Amino acid sequence: MRAALTIAARSLRQRVRDRSAILFAIVIPLGLAAAFSMLIPRGSTFHAEYVVHDGDGGPVAATLVDHVLGALVETGVADVTQVESETAAMIALDAGETSAAILIPAGFSDAIATGTATEVRIIGIPDSPLGIQIVKSVVGGFASEVGAIQLAVVTAADWRPGGSPPALDEGTVAAVRDVTDPIVVTDATMERRQATTASFYAAAMAIMFLFFATIYGPVGILAERRSGTLARLLAAPIRPASIVLGASLASFVLGLVSMTVLVIATTLLLGAEWGPPALVAPLVLSAVIAAMGISMLVCTLARTEDQASGWNAMVAISLAILGGAMIPLSQAPELLQQVGLLTPHAWFLRAVDSMAGASVQLADIVPSLLALLAFGVVAGSIGLARSRTYLVAA
Amino acid sequence: MTAVAQHPTQDVDLEAVPPSPRTQDADAPPAPTPADRLVLRCSGLTKRFGERIAVDNVGFEIRAGETYGLLGPNGAGKTTTISMICGLLTRNGGEVLVEGRPIDPGATAAKAAIGYVPQDLAIYPDLTASENLAFFGGLYGLRGRPLGARVAELLEIIGLTDRAGDRTEQFSGGMKRRLNIAIGLLHRPRLLVLDEPTVGVDPQSRNAILASVQALGREGMAILYTTHYMEEAERLCDRVGIIDEGTIRAEGTRRELVGMVGHRDRVSLAANGDLASAAAAARRLAGVHEATAREGGIDLLVTNARQLLPQLLLDISTDGVSIRSVEVIEPDLEAVFLHLTGKALRD
Repeated sequence: MRAALTIAARSLRQRVRDRSAILFAIVIPLGLAAAFSMLIPRGSTFHAEYVVHDGDGGPVAATLVDHVLGALVETGVADVTQVESETAAMIALDAGETSAAILIPAGFSDAIATGTATEVRIIGIPDSPLGIQIVKSVVGGFASEVGAIQLAVVTAADWRPGGSPPALDEGTVAAVRDVTDPIVVTDATMERRQATTASFYAAAMAIMFLFFATIYGPVGILAERRSGTLARLLAAPIRPASIVLGASLASFVLGLVSMTVLVIATTLLLGAEWGPPALVAPLVLSAVIAAMGISMLVCTLARTEDQASGWNAMVAISLAILGGAMIPLSQAPELLQQVGLLTPHAWFLRAVDSMAGASVQLADIVPSLLALLAFGVVAGSIGLARSRTYLVAA
Repeated sequence: MTAVAQHPTQDVDLEAVPPSPRTQDADAPPAPTPADRLVLRCSGLTKRFGERIAVDNVGFEIRAGETYGLLGPNGAGKTTTISMICGLLTRNGGEVLVEGRPIDPGATAAKAAIGYVPQDLAIYPDLTASENLAFFGGLYGLRGRPLGARVAELLEIIGLTDRAGDRTEQFSGGMKRRLNIAIGLLHRPRLLVLDEPTVGVDPQSRNAILASVQALGREGMAILYTTHYMEEAERLCDRVGIIDEGTIRAEGTRRELVGMVGHRDRVSLAANGDLASAAAAARRLAGVHEATAREGGIDLLVTNARQLLPQLLLDISTDGVSIRSVEVIEPDLEAVFLHLTGKALRD
C-alpha cells in the first residue's frame, strides 16, 4: 500500500504541474455550466401560455379548465386563457402567442357520463416541445383519473349496458376535483425538470468532465510505458498491482477534487442547488468510482496514451449525450430514455433531479448510487483483469 | 561522467558510491562482500513471443565484483534476457536466482538486490532531479532522513547538486544519463544491470560512464552489462557472453574467446615498389604465415605482429619498397563474433 501511495503522490504532483488536468477537470466544466445556465432559461422562470376553448360547458369540462389547468396557473407554471372558438385558438397559435391550444369538444361531459369515447385535442407549436409535453401529461393524467371515477359511478348505480346512463351529479364532480388536483401538482414535475437548470447543467458538465479527470491515472501508466519508467517501476521491489493501485488512487483523488470543486463553485457562482451535502457526498463518490472504472477499462484496451485519451473522450462524450448530459432525457423519446439508463450519466442526473425535491431522502437516490457503483465495479474489474497485458514494459 | 552544461570537464566519480549488500532494510550499513560469492545465476532462460523465440536456453553466472558483458547486435536478445533477470518479463522456461532467491515479476524481496538501469532514459521530465531520486528511493524502501541523505549524496556524486531543484526536462542529455544511472544505484544494489547505458552518449560522457562502471566492479558490485560495442565489452568485462538470435554462442574471458579464432594478427601495408618480391621476402620470415601482394600494398597474416613488425619492415624496405603506412589488426571480439555467426557485430 505504501508503494501505491508513493506512486499516487508522484502522479498527483505531476498532474498539478500539468495544467491540462486543472483545465479539463475544473475550468472547462465550470465555464460550460455557466454558459449553459446563462443561455438556457432557468427552470424556475419557465412559463407557458395556453389557450383553451371549452366547447362543452359541462361540469367535467369545467373541472378540467378550472381545477386541472387552473393548478398550472396557481403554481405559476402557465397562464391559461379561455377563447370563444377553436378559430380564435388557432389564430393565437399562428401568432405564436401560445404554446398549445386545448380544445374541449361539445358533449364532452355527457360523453364521459355515458362512457362514450371522446377526446380533448391539444394542438401545439413545434417551438415549444416542453410546453406541449407539460399540458399533454396534465390532461392525460386527468383523463385517466376521470375514467376511474366513471367506473366507480357506474358501479355504484349498478348500471348495466343497455340501461340509462347515470347522471353525473355534484358528488361525482367533487370526487373528480379531489382526485385530479393532487395529480396535476405531483405529476407535472415542473419543479424537478426546470426549476434547477443551473443545477442540471452544473451536474451534467461535472459528470461529463469527470471522465477527463479520472483518465489521468490509468493513462499515466501508458505514458510510463512509453517513457520507459514503467520498466523501472516493474523492476522495483513492489508488487505490479501497486502500480495500478497507485494510478487508481491518483484518479480517485483527481476525480473527487474535480467534483467537489465543481459542486462548491457552481453552488456559489451559478446558484446551483445540488441538494443536501449528506446525499451529495455519496453520489459524488459513486460517480467518481464509476468514472474510474470506465477510464481504467478504456486505458487497458488502448496501446498508447494518445489512443487512450482519444477513446476516453469519445466514450465520455457519447455517454454524456446518451445519458442526457447535453439535452435532458425528459425531452427525449421513450426509447432513448431507456437507452440512457445504460450510462452512469443518466443515473447521476436522475439523482441530482431527485435531490432538488423538497423532502429528499437517501432512499430516493439509492438506485442511482447502486447503478453508479455497478458501473465502476464491473468496468474496473474487467480493466484490472486486463492489467497483466497492460503492465508490460515497452 | 562529464557534466556538459553546468559542470564543464567535471569528472564524476561514481566509484564513490559504495556498493554494498542490502536486504530488506534500506538503512542498514553496507556489509562486506565476499569476492567469489555468486550473485546471479540464470539457466535455461527462454522467452517466446508468439511463434518467435526471442531468447533460447540462455544461462550464465556472475560473482561479486565481476563484470559480465552480454555482447551482441541489436535484436540479439540482450534486453529480453535482462528483462527476465530483472523480473520485468515472465519467462517461458528457465530460472533466475539472485543471491539464491528466485526472481519473477512478483518477487519483491529478491528484486531489492538489483539495480536496474534501462537503455532509455527512465526519468520523469516534469519532476526535478531530487524528486526523481526521492521517488525511486521510496519504492526501494528508503524513507525520511536516510533517503534525503542518500539523494543528496548521489546528487553530489553525479554533479547535479546545483540543479537538484530543476526539472529534468531542462537537463542536457549527459545530465539525464547520469541521473538515470544514479537512480539504479540509490539502494546500493548487489547486482547492477546496465542495458546499453552509452547508447546516444557523447564520447566524453561515454568514457566517464565506462570508468564509473569499472570502479563499481572494483568495489565488489556484480555487474551485468549489455552492449553491442565490442570496445566496451573488451574494456569493461571480466567475462563476455556472445549472444545472437537469442542464443549465447560462446562465453569466456576475452583471451578465451579470442583463442577460439587463433592468435594470428592481420597486417596491412600500404607501399610502393616491387610488391611481389617484397611479399616473397616477407614469407621467408619466421612467424609470417601468409603474405599477399595487392595493388598499392601487401596483406600479411602473422603471429605476434607487434614483436615481428620491426624485422618485417626492415626486410621489405631493403628490397627497394617504400612503405607509406602500416595497420595491425589483432584478433578481437569482433573477429570472434564474425567467426561464430558469420556476420559482423553491427550488421
